[in-house]
Amino acid sequence: MKKFYLMFMMLLGIVVLAACSSGEEASGGESSSEGSASVDKITAWAWDPAFNIAALEKAKEAYNGDGEYEVEIIENAQDDIIQKLNTGLSSGTTKGMPNIVLIEDYRAQSFLQAYPDAFHPLTDVIKSDDFADYKIATTSYEGEQYGLPFDSGVAGLYVRTDYLEEAGYTVEDVTNITWDEYIEVGKKVKEATGKNMLTLDPNDLAQVRMMIQTNGSWYVDEDGSTPNLAGNETLAKGFETYKKMMDEDIAKIVSDWSQFVGAFNSGDVASVPTGNWITPSVKQAADQSGKWAVVPMPRLDMDGAVNASNLGGSSWYVLNVDGKEEAADFLLNTFGSNPDLYQTLVKDIGAIGTYSAAAEGDAFAVEDEFFSGQQIITDFSQWTEEIPAVNYGLHTYAIEDILVTGMQDYLNGADLNQVLENAQSQAEAQLK
Amino acid sequence: MSQQLTKKNEMDIPLRHKETKRQKTNLYFRKKIGWLFVIISIIAITIFNFYPMVQAFLLSFQSGMGGNLEYVGLANWKRLFGDPTFIAALTNTSIFLLIQVPLMIVLALFLSVLLNDPTLKFKSFFRIAIFLPCVTSLVAYSVIFKYLFGVDGLINQFLVKFGFATQAINFLADPFWAKVVIIVAITWRWTGYNMIFYLSALQNVDKSIYEAARIDGANAIQQFFQITVPMLKPIILFTSITSTIGTLQIFDEVVNITNGGPGNSTISISQYIYNLSFEYTPDFGYASTVSYVIVILVVILSIIQFRVAGERK
Repeated sequence: MKKFYLMFMMLLGIVVLAACSSGEEASGGESSSEGSASVDKITAWAWDPAFNIAALEKAKEAYNGDGEYEVEIIENAQDDIIQKLNTGLSSGTTKGMPNIVLIEDYRAQSFLQAYPDAFHPLTDVIKSDDFADYKIATTSYEGEQYGLPFDSGVAGLYVRTDYLEEAGYTVEDVTNITWDEYIEVGKKVKEATGKNMLTLDPNDLAQVRMMIQTNGSWYVDEDGSTPNLAGNETLAKGFETYKKMMDEDIAKIVSDWSQFVGAFNSGDVASVPTGNWITPSVKQAADQSGKWAVVPMPRLDMDGAVNASNLGGSSWYVLNVDGKEEAADFLLNTFGSNPDLYQTLVKDIGAIGTYSAAAEGDAFAVEDEFFSGQQIITDFSQWTEEIPAVNYGLHTYAIEDILVTGMQDYLNGADLNQVLENAQSQAEAQLK
Repeated sequence: MSQQLTKKNEMDIPLRHKETKRQKTNLYFRKKIGWLFVIISIIAITIFNFYPMVQAFLLSFQSGMGGNLEYVGLANWKRLFGDPTFIAALTNTSIFLLIQVPLMIVLALFLSVLLNDPTLKFKSFFRIAIFLPCVTSLVAYSVIFKYLFGVDGLINQFLVKFGFATQAINFLADPFWAKVVIIVAITWRWTGYNMIFYLSALQNVDKSIYEAARIDGANAIQQFFQITVPMLKPIILFTSITSTIGTLQIFDEVVNITNGGPGNSTISISQYIYNLSFEYTPDFGYASTVSYVIVILVVILSIIQFRVAGERK
């Protein structure tokens, strides 16, 4: 029996060793891929079939380089892409990883820093001057350009002109205003129409994020990792404004995306301050055609704040695996240098890119019937240029979760400075 | 007795002597075959269960972003006790556990006794109706609960229409009500599941015990506490342990109904682990430290439950 145990343990040992060594082989395989072999098929991962996937399909059609390879487009939910990248890259295996992947700007830095060698720099491939300034800060790391900036998250204030009129306002009255003025308008609108001015989701501080970016501020310092919460005047102002909207009772509380969309589709709110990607959802309510206009985002009432901000947006990245040359070639000859592609994207998908040369095309000047003939794409492109560049850094979502709790305390009457100081110390303890 | 035994032994001895070498190897071989049958599952469990468990344990002493992990000793454990989000997650999970598990067990027990009544009509209809929630997908039912309890949801319309509330309650944006919704949801989903265990156990309880009790003059309540509960003790123990483990790992409901909110008032430990790994800049080391907390909690709580309810063996 002893003999048998011995045999058993040896077998076990062999199995365990085999499991370990196969891991090493995989990571060895990765380092040998530095030399890179050419491949005849590259894969691209993205989410949202109506937007990003459609854009990739258009890009595939528009490709005008001379590379000979097939591009396979795979749709994954954004959360799945994040999970797959994280598990794949941290285990050191590149098997099953795509060549091109779409990453949200708020998360880009954390991927670039967490997996330093996993991404292929595009510094020599694309000219970063060709793209909107504010996108470059989030897509580059340590002087190298890693991302090819894709869609703009440029934000605007969608307003219901009919509700404004009822309250005695015109579109000019809400153009280039501050958030304080916005709240005044909101109070009047509620008096006159009984409708709330906007929706707020207490679990999502997107509103605050957009506010503070109008003044070039963020949750973190410019280094991208030091939390900048306590003593951040812009953030404090954003919190105050948020609370004021709650206190003045001009906000309808929602708790998820479909309630958010439902609120303006059913005419429950008079305005929607958010990213331009909401346009298709606003247009869903065809009966509201001609009742909407888009004006620049309100700014915080502070020196230096501008009427332009951003929400969301993402960029393309090339993974450092076999086929990276082909992947870079594909991106360069599509999103990186083809203004016509961007015309198609605007016309067919409604996706506004951040490639500056594309903004002069006809498709951008199209007058939108739904918005009473306003050239909304042109307007959005102009505002894109004015968005203050901030380094979103590493911890947007981690800090946001801390702030969401802080916001609850603040709304329930806690002292703002104390709230932000607590958040600061909590963030410092948590993020290293 | 002893005479018989010795007789038997005497008979055994010549048999043993007769055992040939061949038979001996045969026996050894047969034992070995048994091992060969189990070895496949042993190896599989080792590779897919024990090996990852050991690795996760080692991981819990490391920290860093994504792939840049390094050993930090006990720093993760130190961080754990000063981490307000973790403490909030632990508190929430404990609240779910302390309120929901007893509530559900009592309810399931009650329902199973009712349904076990031989005079009850449409028995299988009720059984199926109560068990049916268990076959629904976790995500699907969570989403439905979310809409039921929304501001414009069915529950609010009902409350306002019948005058139970003057205006709609925003269940999911209120720290207290959000917890209530989660507890109601899990109870709805799992009561029927536990009830089935009790029902099947009740079928095995000898009817004559109840008969005897009735003859002795015990009423229904006495029968329930003096007979039913003690007879079902092993099953109650089993269900409370599985429910405890299930509630400690609660994830789908919280993520889909409230997403941990408002603030952190419904975040669960599992959701925090997910956030640490995939929502924030990944720190797999700290995430696995938090997961080991669940392991420790499950072990401690199971021991307590065994001590309180189990046989003393």
